Amino acid sequence: MATALKPGSRFKSAVCETQVMVVKAPAGEHDLRCGGAPMVAPTDSAGGEPDAAFGGPTLIGKRYVNADESLELLCTKGGKGGLSLGTTPLEVKQAKQLPSSD
Amino acid sequence: MSAPRDAAAPGAAYRDALLASLGVAASAPAPVPDEHPALACAASGLMALSGQADGPPLMCPVPLATLADGALAALATLAPQADFADLRGARLLGERAALTGLRRQGARSAGGACRLLDAADGAFALSLARDDDWSLLPAWLEDDAADWDRVARLVRTRHRDELVARGRLLGLAVAPGVDAPHERTAWFELPRGDAHFAMKPARPPRVVDLSSLWAGPLCTQLLQRCGAEVIKCESTTRPDGARQGPAAFFDLLNAGKRSVALELHTPRGRAQLRELLLRADIVIEASRPRALRQMGIEAEALLRENAGLTWVSLTGYGRAEPQAQWIAYGDDAGVAAGLSEILYRASGARVFVGDAIADPLTGLHAALAAWASHRAGGGRLLALALRDVARHVAQFDRPRDDEALRARQREWTACVAGLEAGLPPARAARGTAAALGADTTRVLQGWGIAC
Repeated sequence: MATALKPGSRFKSAVCETQVMVVKAPAGEHDLRCGGAPMVAPTDSAGGEPDAAFGGPTLIGKRYVNADESLELLCTKGGKGGLSLGTTPLEVKQAKQLPSSD
Repeated sequence: MSAPRDAAAPGAAYRDALLASLGVAASAPAPVPDEHPALACAASGLMALSGQADGPPLMCPVPLATLADGALAALATLAPQADFADLRGARLLGERAALTGLRRQGARSAGGACRLLDAADGAFALSLARDDDWSLLPAWLEDDAADWDRVARLVRTRHRDELVARGRLLGLAVAPGVDAPHERTAWFELPRGDAHFAMKPARPPRVVDLSSLWAGPLCTQLLQRCGAEVIKCESTTRPDGARQGPAAFFDLLNAGKRSVALELHTPRGRAQLRELLLRADIVIEASRPRALRQMGIEAEALLRENAGLTWVSLTGYGRAEPQAQWIAYGDDAGVAAGLSEILYRASGARVFVGDAIADPLTGLHAALAAWASHRAGGGRLLALALRDVARHVAQFDRPRDDEALRARQREWTACVAGLEAGLPPARAARGTAAALGADTTRVLQGWGIAC
């Protein structure tokens, strides 16, 4: 299932507790998955078990990116499944540098 | 006209209230400087740092500066041997601005990273302290906002609570401009340990400081002045960001501390950190609890293994969920504490009060809590939140209604008429801060930890 990903839009895993918000994404439709299953709108319901082949767990507060970092998701709730675009796993983005002052 | 009251009365009352909240009965409390709260406010730099850039400095109608003196006096009461000769609690508030040339900028924070903005139904503060924070704005606003003007325009039609909730979900430091509740709230929480801080003789503590920026480093500097040995422990890849800021300020807070840098992204570095924490008497950290948990560091578990440990957790809003996920800096936490709302009710101006005001206030209170717990045998997890500390100070001597707030502001402003509301003279740093990791090998070897 391919979906347009707009900054600020939210998705949840069909097979675990994971929730994400899109920070940025390339135009077009994308096959965003968690635990191997297409992610769904926050209000949809679904069921099943995450496929361990897709890694995981997701960690709240971490940002997940594809190889060229054109896609970036923020994990707003952690879960057992791993995030992927199609069958390509997303990687954890390096933590933010600390600010020099506030 | 009532009789003139004792000028330093709120400061002494605050000292005694802080000690009482720790269950300490002090027979010989340290004195609070004898200065009218209005004069203390003007001399602290707080007044010069509040107001529009092209307008007059504004008097804060709650005695923040005097209460900061009271907090330092509480610490001096418990550490009579402390080297505080060049310190005034009140003067800590404007110290960074004095050293680095910051000025009041109205609804823009003195440091520049935080703004007071108007949503459709109320004011709120947003700090964008990290460059990376800007990349979150499209997700926050669902718009390609790339500058403050556009952000200000967009939020004007949105609901404040939704902006705040969504911003927090994204990890932005965003805070509603609410008033401080009239009923007093606590300045610390004690998730673990004895609430009665009975003083015992104690050797000078070993402090491991994992914090950064201002509040935590000020806390450990004050502990250092009380006789503690302080190890400033940083990640080799994510050191204290203040190292990139003005050197004079970094040196002021960190000179004399030993610098340990560990590879915290590796299992070895994390194991070394654990060993350091197991040998410490006091740990000061300012991370979200989950960040340390994800590194395998759990305060509660370390307290079980290291029985005399005092663990001080500094957060924006506390360790409970969901607030444990919210971040805060000194300016937005001051807004969340009610300070900007109080000044607005008194003066009609929507501006910041001071420079990152919650930072120095929290540093002072954290040092008091840490020292008190150590002197009482440790075994405590103390949680201080920037918002809660600043709110506690805001509430302590707040006139009940808006009319009384305005009256006090008029009266206190008249007290300082003709005086220049400038910045305090900056303390001089006692040397240069150690370079990142300068003492890693020496400290690890000295503490019996494999390098």
